[in-house]
Amino acid sequence: MSTKSTYRHTVDSFKNALGLGEQTIETSLFERLVFYIALGLSLFVTLFPFYYMTVASLTPEANLYSLPPTLLPDEITLTHYRTVFGPETFPFLTYFKNSFIVATITAGASVLVATFGAYSFARLDYAGRGIFSRGVLMVYMFSGILLVVPMFQVIVWLGFVDSLWSLFITYLVQTLPVSLYMLGNYFRSIPEEIEEAAIMDGYSRLEVIFKITLPLSAPAIVAVFFFTFMIAWNEYLFASIFLESQGVYTLPIGIEALASGFHQVWGEIMAASLLTSVPLIVMFMYLEKFMVEGLTFGAVEG
Amino acid sequence: MVSLTRSGERTLEEKEALLGYALIAPSLLLIAAVILYPVLYNVYLSFTAVPLSPAESPEWIGLQHYQDLAQSGEFWSALRTTVVFTFFSTTLATLGGLGAALLFNRKFRGRRFARGLVLLPYVAPLISIAFVWRFMLDPLYGIIPYVGADVLGLYGGDVDLLSNDRTALWSVIFVDAWRYFPFAFLMLIARVQAIPSDMYEAAKIDGASRFAQFKDITLAELKYILATVFLLRWIWNFNKFADIWLLTRQVDTLPIYAYKVAFANYQHGQAAAVSMVLFLALIGFVLVYVAWILDW
Repeated sequence: MSTKSTYRHTVDSFKNALGLGEQTIETSLFERLVFYIALGLSLFVTLFPFYYMTVASLTPEANLYSLPPTLLPDEITLTHYRTVFGPETFPFLTYFKNSFIVATITAGASVLVATFGAYSFARLDYAGRGIFSRGVLMVYMFSGILLVVPMFQVIVWLGFVDSLWSLFITYLVQTLPVSLYMLGNYFRSIPEEIEEAAIMDGYSRLEVIFKITLPLSAPAIVAVFFFTFMIAWNEYLFASIFLESQGVYTLPIGIEALASGFHQVWGEIMAASLLTSVPLIVMFMYLEKFMVEGLTFGAVEG
Repeated sequence: MVSLTRSGERTLEEKEALLGYALIAPSLLLIAAVILYPVLYNVYLSFTAVPLSPAESPEWIGLQHYQDLAQSGEFWSALRTTVVFTFFSTTLATLGGLGAALLFNRKFRGRRFARGLVLLPYVAPLISIAFVWRFMLDPLYGIIPYVGADVLGLYGGDVDLLSNDRTALWSVIFVDAWRYFPFAFLMLIARVQAIPSDMYEAAKIDGASRFAQFKDITLAELKYILATVFLLRWIWNFNKFADIWLLTRQVDTLPIYAYKVAFANYQHGQAAAVSMVLFLALIGFVLVYVAWILDW
């Protein structure tokens, strides 16, 4: 698959999107009208759930459970957020902290290990490297469900049930193929001549990696960190079987537990959902350019 | 780098190769230990009866689990549900992505910002998305039943879209397509924008209709990337667990069936067999697809 050329196309077209090149197509008023209606509709369908989540998290209890549903609350309340942050109902902050720790360590370790691995099969020449780099793509296709039974046995055997270690191990390895694949593609897109010139100047291979390749790859590394963070932040399957006590729950398990409680507490669930989205959306806004590039040449599972 | 310079006792190539092995080693070790070994172990487990206590070892029973599956109505129905879910959610997400990509091919003020917004369903955490849809589809106070049943009268208001047998699958397909169309959009928009506009100019001079231009230029140019996006989404949707499980317990695809067998019935050997069938079915599909559609 020509991921590399997809990537090139992407970079070019985003340059175009920024207004360099690309000619405007002259259209009639009617066509423009149709276009803006279609655009408005797509944005509405895409964004409405997020709007509704926000509104519901701010709507007083009584108005949530009445018809017609509130689209524009005439009264705003922070009660749901207070409940979410108050430790007496459910330990949202603990879940948040657990998710944050697991996702950060996973992403950091995955990027670190994958940077060297990807450099190895993108640039260095040795017997078997073709098998390694193709093998990574194969592994990419193994689903969590194929691993869940044997991993459960292994984690029980290791004595890591109900500990964040179980997640750290599984997430690290689940994200590793993604990281290797994305970074490998990126390294291959850096002109080899730059590195060769540095070697001529007397740099060792390791110096080249640390002083030239890594600084040039900073955007890709950031993107890969984000994606691995996102995968770990979202993971539900393994967390649901490895974690037993509330103290180690991550956000997906914690919120699921809150929702399957006896009472319907949609206000609190919406507040918690929104707060869970915040780290990813903030990261995404900051890193949008890198992310979009990263996505198009990495094809991250979702 | 080809060089015959000797530094120390090893040639430069040998040193490069050694460095190569050293750098890839941690990745390989981890993948071997926590992916390859479990996958092989899973093959073994699928031929055994796994006792509840981890202290006892699994007992070899040969093809028993596979025979049981072949005779199980639940299994066949799960396989059918998986194919229906995967086919429709993949098709909808790909078409939605194509539509959005064509829409965004035009220049307009704020296009970059709008593109960022369109990616939100894909970027936002699954748990938040599952719950906002569950709330919006809630039979009592949800906005979708309110608009669909009470205001527009499209269906009887007493139907719970996520727990009703007939509608749950379609609700899940729709939510899944909503969440993943941005992926298709992103993969496609790059290609759409790379189609040279003089191809359309030439077609216009030849008097080709809008539809002919779309079919003969746009679709022809996008064929390969469309097929690839469809394949990737197919692979991921076929294995999908959490997205469906968090929305409803009424849709049993193979991954969900495997999960229930393993962790509700505690039949780990049987569940290993289900996941093997899932994997083999997927590999079979991918091979046929790649040979037939992608022409590799």
